[in-house]
Amino acid sequence: MQQKPILLAPLDPVHDIGLKIMKRSLDEAGFETILLPPDYKAGEIINTAMGNDVDTILISRTLGYGVADLLANFVDLAEAAGIRDKVKLAIGGMAVRPELAAELGFDAGFGPGTKPEELLAFIENKEYVPDKSSAVKEKSNLTEGYTYQYKHQGMERMLDQIVDSIMNWAEGKTSPAVKRAAIREKMLINQGEAENLELLSQYLGYSDEMVQDFYNDRKIPDKCRPLGQDEIDSLERYVEATKERMSAQKLQHVKDNPVVFIQYGTGCPFMDIAHIKTSEAWGADGAVHFDPSWAARTEGFLSGYLTHEQDGSIITLENLAQTKKHLQPSTIWQVRAHRGLNTPETVLLAGHLGADMTKINIVYGSLGAGTDPERMTVDAIAAIKYAAKFGMPFDIVTNEELCGVPAHKAFAGMLIVNHLARRLGASTVLQPLFCYSPEMMINGGMDDNYIDFNAAKIMALRQVIDAPIWPGAPIGFLTQDEDRVQSAMTTALHASLAASLNVDAISIASSDEAYSGGPIIASSRIDTLRATKEAFRFFGSAGIQPTVKAEEMVSTLVSGIEQVLQNVLDKGCFVQALYDGILGSKEDGAYPGRSGRGTITIE
Amino acid sequence: MSAVFKNVMDAIDIETFLVCSSESEGKELAIRMVKDMGIQDADIVFIQYQGPGARVRVRGYVHKPGANYGWLNSKT
Repeated sequence: MQQKPILLAPLDPVHDIGLKIMKRSLDEAGFETILLPPDYKAGEIINTAMGNDVDTILISRTLGYGVADLLANFVDLAEAAGIRDKVKLAIGGMAVRPELAAELGFDAGFGPGTKPEELLAFIENKEYVPDKSSAVKEKSNLTEGYTYQYKHQGMERMLDQIVDSIMNWAEGKTSPAVKRAAIREKMLINQGEAENLELLSQYLGYSDEMVQDFYNDRKIPDKCRPLGQDEIDSLERYVEATKERMSAQKLQHVKDNPVVFIQYGTGCPFMDIAHIKTSEAWGADGAVHFDPSWAARTEGFLSGYLTHEQDGSIITLENLAQTKKHLQPSTIWQVRAHRGLNTPETVLLAGHLGADMTKINIVYGSLGAGTDPERMTVDAIAAIKYAAKFGMPFDIVTNEELCGVPAHKAFAGMLIVNHLARRLGASTVLQPLFCYSPEMMINGGMDDNYIDFNAAKIMALRQVIDAPIWPGAPIGFLTQDEDRVQSAMTTALHASLAASLNVDAISIASSDEAYSGGPIIASSRIDTLRATKEAFRFFGSAGIQPTVKAEEMVSTLVSGIEQVLQNVLDKGCFVQALYDGILGSKEDGAYPGRSGRGTITIE
Repeated sequence: MSAVFKNVMDAIDIETFLVCSSESEGKELAIRMVKDMGIQDADIVFIQYQGPGARVRVRGYVHKPGANYGWLNSKT
């Protein structure tokens, strides 16, 4: 135990909060402390130190113009008084850095965020070893604790009937994607070379010409490039070195703060991995794989390590495996499969590689992402069965709202897919958009604030069913502009609202969300992760209060969903309802996709 | 130093992410990057290091208060 007292002196006209905080810690640790008030001159502080026979002086000072000279003079004065060799001198405060402290002649410097343990280690002449236990993260299970029980029994009855009709409609129907997935399933089991070649031949029989050319003639699609073994080896070394230095932060300030996902898809799996590692280090809990739009409209997958200069990273078994291999154990990995011609196989590959989640929505895939409704329905049923088989939950994203489809229609579609998934044994997460809704842009419902309608969506879903909710994707969509401060701020505000509503997860954008001139960069990811962390810290367990309009919106949403479900029932066929605009019409901005049209066959 | 710098009111900030293995390495790299641009008065405004590297905002002062401001006589 230290015998001599410790002098804490603010060499500052006003500020002494930092010293008071440290004094409390030192007192609790059993040290004798003397705290001087602000605005003492250097000579007075030195005299107090000499008069009390202290052996440590802790100075605090906010750095600014000329302050470095002031601090250096303090050290000179301590030397002139003959105490410099007898006492340890440390400086703390905003903008203080250890190397600056050393330059000025201090033994140590403590900047913002200094932990009392660091100071204690300095006083006790011990090496500071950070306690990393608080940064140990565990993987969250978003569906845990939810019953999926309906609170709105009328909707449950309607959904039962709709799902019955979907299952009847789909009976015996198949597609090239379903067949490819079945072949791929066999290929994933280690077969002999001859059998694999035969399986590949069958696979290519259900694939587009581009995919056939790739396998048969090694013809690489435009703008794609295979990554070489030397690049793969370099990546391995980079990631291994990075992992050794990793200590992930936690974004959440209180227990109920949502899990935070980032979305990646720079086009290059290696850049993706570098971004994921960076995002993990800055606290991201999950990562969502984005594939390219052209690949979603291509029958069949390529293979190998492939990069390309477009948005979205190419799904191949090798690319996905490489990404998975380098994730932190706590990172929730989602491979989205919701929109294209490879939905069942995407879910199969994701499940096979140990992904934690996938993303499937028939309605969005059909009305907002260009896939034929009939094809999307057949493929999604097969995909959901794979998800169930792997015990891999999926979210049902309602991005058709971005096309202009009103939320109540999008929600009706989401609830249908949710009910279908439950029937097929899968677990789901509801994903309402948490954005500046196009529907509200037109109707003026968000003129006053961005809170009411987003809050109403969450509240409405909770009136219908007890299920996990993961707003996205990303939160704040259409509120961000190209300025990093504005963009990070609006993301943080939406994160605050989401936290206030106790949702289970959020997907956040980078501060490049509104920039369309090139790929997202790593520092822009850190901007919004830091902003989100600060938002969680700011609100803690406190909340944001919507206005009374939110309640009215809830009531409108719930009755709207009910009416849409009734309309689907009246139509008698869910798939026909998609074509006929009941779940989103051309007037709304939704168009039934054409990709894969006419490819459904009867087995 | 680029002739355009005379139009900089006071300083340029570079916001980036540097792949490095320590905070001190990140600082050194950031300062060197600015000095290599011909701006000798460089400082770290913000740096946060985690395993993959450092998020850094490094500043190069072109015109500090009281300097001869190039933009006073700039025709562009």
